[in-house]
Amino acid sequence: MSSLIQMLKPKTKSQTTTMFAWALIAPAAMVMFWIVLWPLYETFRLSFTNSNLGTLMGGADFIGWENYEKAIGGRKFPSIVTRTFYWMFLSVGFKMILGLIGATLLASNIRGRGLMRALVMPPWIVPIAIGCFGWLWLYNGHFGLLSNFAEMVGITNGPFSFLAYKQSAFYSAVVTDVWIGTPMVTLFFLAAMQGVPKDLYEAAYVDGASRWYRFRRITLPQIMPTIVSMALLSAIWTFNSFEIIWILTEGGPRGATTTLIIDTFKTAIFSYKFGAGATRAVLVVLILGVFSVIYLTVLGRLSKKYGYGGVQK
Amino acid sequence: MATVKLENIYKSFDETEVLFDINLEIKDKEFVVFVGPSGCGKTTLLRIISGLEEATSGSVIIDDKDVSNAPPVERGIAMVFQSYALYPHLSVFENIAFPLRVAKVNEKELEEKVFKAAEILQLRDRLDFKPGQLSGGQRQRVAIGRSIVRDPKVFLFDEPLSNLDAALRGDMRVELAKLHQNLKTTMIYVTHDQIEAMTMADKIVVLRDGVIEQVGSPMDLYHNPRTKFVAGFIGQPNMNFLKTTDTEIKNNNLFTNIGDLALDLAVDISSIKAGDEIDIGIRPEDLGVSASKLGIPMSVDVVEHIGATVILHGSVLGNSNFCAVVPSDSTIKPGETVNLVFDSSKCHAFNSSGQALMKTNK
Repeated sequence: MSSLIQMLKPKTKSQTTTMFAWALIAPAAMVMFWIVLWPLYETFRLSFTNSNLGTLMGGADFIGWENYEKAIGGRKFPSIVTRTFYWMFLSVGFKMILGLIGATLLASNIRGRGLMRALVMPPWIVPIAIGCFGWLWLYNGHFGLLSNFAEMVGITNGPFSFLAYKQSAFYSAVVTDVWIGTPMVTLFFLAAMQGVPKDLYEAAYVDGASRWYRFRRITLPQIMPTIVSMALLSAIWTFNSFEIIWILTEGGPRGATTTLIIDTFKTAIFSYKFGAGATRAVLVVLILGVFSVIYLTVLGRLSKKYGYGGVQK
Repeated sequence: MATVKLENIYKSFDETEVLFDINLEIKDKEFVVFVGPSGCGKTTLLRIISGLEEATSGSVIIDDKDVSNAPPVERGIAMVFQSYALYPHLSVFENIAFPLRVAKVNEKELEEKVFKAAEILQLRDRLDFKPGQLSGGQRQRVAIGRSIVRDPKVFLFDEPLSNLDAALRGDMRVELAKLHQNLKTTMIYVTHDQIEAMTMADKIVVLRDGVIEQVGSPMDLYHNPRTKFVAGFIGQPNMNFLKTTDTEIKNNNLFTNIGDLALDLAVDISSIKAGDEIDIGIRPEDLGVSASKLGIPMSVDVVEHIGATVILHGSVLGNSNFCAVVPSDSTIKPGETVNLVFDSSKCHAFNSSGQALMKTNK
């Protein structure tokens, strides 16, 4: 009887509001579950199995830490991890420096500034694959523009295929990655620079501060939050940058451009070792996780140093 | 020692001309206020003196030296911006020290100067704070501190009090006046607030549409405005104007009737003739309420009790923005009609082009 009364009792207002809120986020939550949480869990589970082409129909066994032991203990693993970090720092470093220079130039009050700003965009607007094919042609030894030009001005004395040698392939891939990644960094920096109040510069100018001094003591600290967050995002994207390397070199020659993400793909998809591939994917997540934590700690310190000490009116 | 001289300054931004033939001399240690409505060119003029803006033609002479083409730092000026322009990422100490760091002053001297400025401006216990943690008045003082440490010859203030609330503005006005007495330097101050101009200035420069309307001491502008614009701009509440065409000239005096009142004005009549339209200006504080039926009738709409006096707003002879200041014991209520009287010697007269007919004091 009492339960019947309970059922007949009208629900309180806050209960219905909560239910309504849940109903509203349910579709999004469901999508998130299926495309983020479930694959994450599956990857994690796979990484502890010997899943491969042969066990596709079922029958993959739980093999504990074996995949991890093999991956981390593998002959190539240390060099791949080192290469990935080198790739990331080099590429992100260039993107940041070029982005900063580009934004400073675009922020200056020159004729045709609008056109210049528009011209920065193409590397970013053009689909990555198409951009990469353009670079493939440029790097080509026989009919490539770069090789031809190098030969013409006497740097090389014959066709030079940039993607055919270990060193040149790696740095060529870096150049392409920087080319694609710089415009966005530039535009973010430009937006941040434009947000710096003009009278700060005027006040410094009245005090006799040079251009460089103003840049160093006003622009840089003022846009530091943007620099820091762009650096983190860019680092994660570059660390996981797959399509650029894949289209240019497929990780070659002889593994010279194989980063962790390329290695993951090669192991899981080319060698059909799904378990071992998943292990590498989990390692990528862990490494980036650690990286992010370190990074956010640094960020906290930086924002304390450059912080505003409250909201300024 | 610093005098400032402006000679034939013109300024235009592309097609728009903002300043026409500005000539002005500012004496050493003078507190000069540029005042005028927004868009009159006063801030542009200040920026031309500072070197942030270049005049289209004309020269800026500071201390007998033509600095028209010199960068700000070589002009011996310091500027306080309307927005204060404090560096949000730097502490109060570093903000004040900024000009000294630029000039590469050694650490010991730098500290001394910053502490001294902080002492003057009562910021000693705020030196480690960031600007965002300060109140509006304190930020204002930091901005002033930053200009003090450079020992400039001329201080330039660009509407420094306009971001403060009314009470604080009153306090800061007094502080700035004290600062001027202590530092004994030339100060140029831009504002649109005529009260700031009246209370602080040794000399007021009234600007309108890029032209200097009048230069003079506050009391000179108050008593002898040379144009209707200056008359209406200086003084609070604003001067009342009444139009009349009922004008006659006798014995070199101007005679006219306002309502029942016959006025005999001893003014320069060279620019008018009988029957010309003129504006009679009367300050609200020069009006009195008549006990008799004589005077000009005012129908009162609003009565403001501000303590020491009572301000009546209403309409008189077709002017609906008429204002009168009466003693605080007045019992006049909205809706009533009162008769106003005034002394004709307190009146101002302006011809149809807005020029004052100067008093001849016969």
